[in-house]
Amino acid sequence: MMMSRLKKSILYWVLLSPLMIVILFPFGLMFVTAVRPRDELFVYPPRWTFSEFHWGNFVDMWGKTNFGGALLNSLYVSVSSTALALVLSIPAAYALSRHRFRGKGSYRNFLLMTQMMSPIVLVLGLFRLMVQFGLVNNLNSLVLTYAAFNMAFTIWMLQSYFNTIPRELEEASWMDGANHFVSLTKIFLPLAVPAMVVTGIFSFINSWNEFVLALTMIRSTENYTLPVQIFAQVAGRYQIEWHHVMAGTVLATVPVAIVFSWLQRYLIRGMALGAVK
Amino acid sequence: MKSALRSTPLLMILPSLGLAMFVIGYPIVDLAWTSLHEVSRFGQLRDFAGLYNFTDVFGEPLFYESLWRTIIWTVAVVGGTLLISLPVALVLNDDFIGRSLARVIIMLPWAISLTMTAVVWRWGLNGRAGLLNATLMDLHVIAEPIEWLATAPLAFTAEILIGILVSIPFTTTIFLGGLSSLPQDSYEASVVDGATGWDQFRYITLPLMKPFINIAIVLNVIYVFNSLPIIWVMTEGGPANGTDILVTYLYKLAFRFGQLGKASAISLIMFGVLLIFTALYVVMVMRAETDSTVDGEHKDDDVAA
Repeated sequence: MMMSRLKKSILYWVLLSPLMIVILFPFGLMFVTAVRPRDELFVYPPRWTFSEFHWGNFVDMWGKTNFGGALLNSLYVSVSSTALALVLSIPAAYALSRHRFRGKGSYRNFLLMTQMMSPIVLVLGLFRLMVQFGLVNNLNSLVLTYAAFNMAFTIWMLQSYFNTIPRELEEASWMDGANHFVSLTKIFLPLAVPAMVVTGIFSFINSWNEFVLALTMIRSTENYTLPVQIFAQVAGRYQIEWHHVMAGTVLATVPVAIVFSWLQRYLIRGMALGAVK
Repeated sequence: MKSALRSTPLLMILPSLGLAMFVIGYPIVDLAWTSLHEVSRFGQLRDFAGLYNFTDVFGEPLFYESLWRTIIWTVAVVGGTLLISLPVALVLNDDFIGRSLARVIIMLPWAISLTMTAVVWRWGLNGRAGLLNATLMDLHVIAEPIEWLATAPLAFTAEILIGILVSIPFTTTIFLGGLSSLPQDSYEASVVDGATGWDQFRYITLPLMKPFINIAIVLNVIYVFNSLPIIWVMTEGGPANGTDILVTYLYKLAFRFGQLGKASAISLIMFGVLLIFTALYVVMVMRAETDSTVDGEHKDDDVAA
């Protein structure tokens, strides 16, 4: 039985709609709370509607919470850890993609193991490690740990893209007398830039969203990253300023969500290529 | 020159290996060592204690309760995720109007940090002013607001459902990767043989998708079993430890109660469980790789292109 494309599309959208409503619910919730006047937060009976858009909540929130500082901290940690992960991953991925060497199989299995290791299982050991190095309450503790935990993923992604860059291009440049270093930096790396950008963005998002390690390593308010900053506004408080919290989550999540949505097809492809397989 | 070339790949992987050893390898050793000692509140190791920390953990009723809830949490979240993700992936793999938009929406929860998702839901489930109550009251499903997070069974159920919601994008992505690699000609042949859509699903799609389903199960078990943010943000394992799973119990022991010996013992136990599942995953990946080389190189090339 053949259905027309239109009928099929309508059927599919209807089938997907319950899930979509549940997915979009928190976003709607975030927005209507972030722009709601403070005295309309707790009304009975609870309702979606409110009297007027109160954009001032964002300004208010920025002034009263340490949002700006946490934003800078998150940026610093995410950018630095991504840079570190990429610098260490690019040669490793290149070696996996282009060379046969002894221990390659074990190295790949080791990577898989580290990818599966979750920070929470190691969190106590990591905390003790950072105490020893005097890095507790120092953002660099997060840079190091995020880079290490992201590395397996970045190496997989890069390797799978490197495999698609034809070997012949480098070999041709060797014929022309270029040495390996020159062929690597002049021929290979420029071709690999898009792969590095995409991989870097995913690593950035991972670091941006990480919670457990940041909660554990960072002890003082001025060093909080965004997830911990938002958490601190709701945890163990009698009076929670929900309109500030939601304004904060809107600012912290929406830009990342847009970038992610734009790039998610690369993730699907990367998954199919190597990250999972 | 030749020996230098041969050692180049090793030099290339060495820096990454070094950092991983330092950040992931060393803490494991430290945890193992700590778990065998009596530890002060401030992390100083005292006397060698043998397996005392482990017997101490095994003598604690809360450990078994958390373990039991961890099993429920993991099985429910992973099971629910698979049941929803497979049909969603089948739909998204088919061509229809607005498919890219649908994909973007389904993938959205993946882009948001679990912490933020949990914070937003905690507000949405608020018993007094939560908009879930508002929605359900508007639809006349309930007459009175419900305190979703005030009792453990209800709170735990809500946390499981949110756990499912945030696991769907990743799982769907794995399935989409799998579906895109299925051979199109088997479907065409089956249509010639008069197969219905259900026959195709039952006898072609499902068997061929099995390796991907297995991988999705193992990876999700690993992630869900270790997931702290949702429960920590929404209820911190409460009320009255009623939503504690192993990770929240571990976190409390380590960073609230200063029982570092016990906490490291639990970390080690969890590490063991994790190791079993990871080994399972490694075996599956290796099997998938040998399969695809047996099938012939052209298939890999197709995916890569």
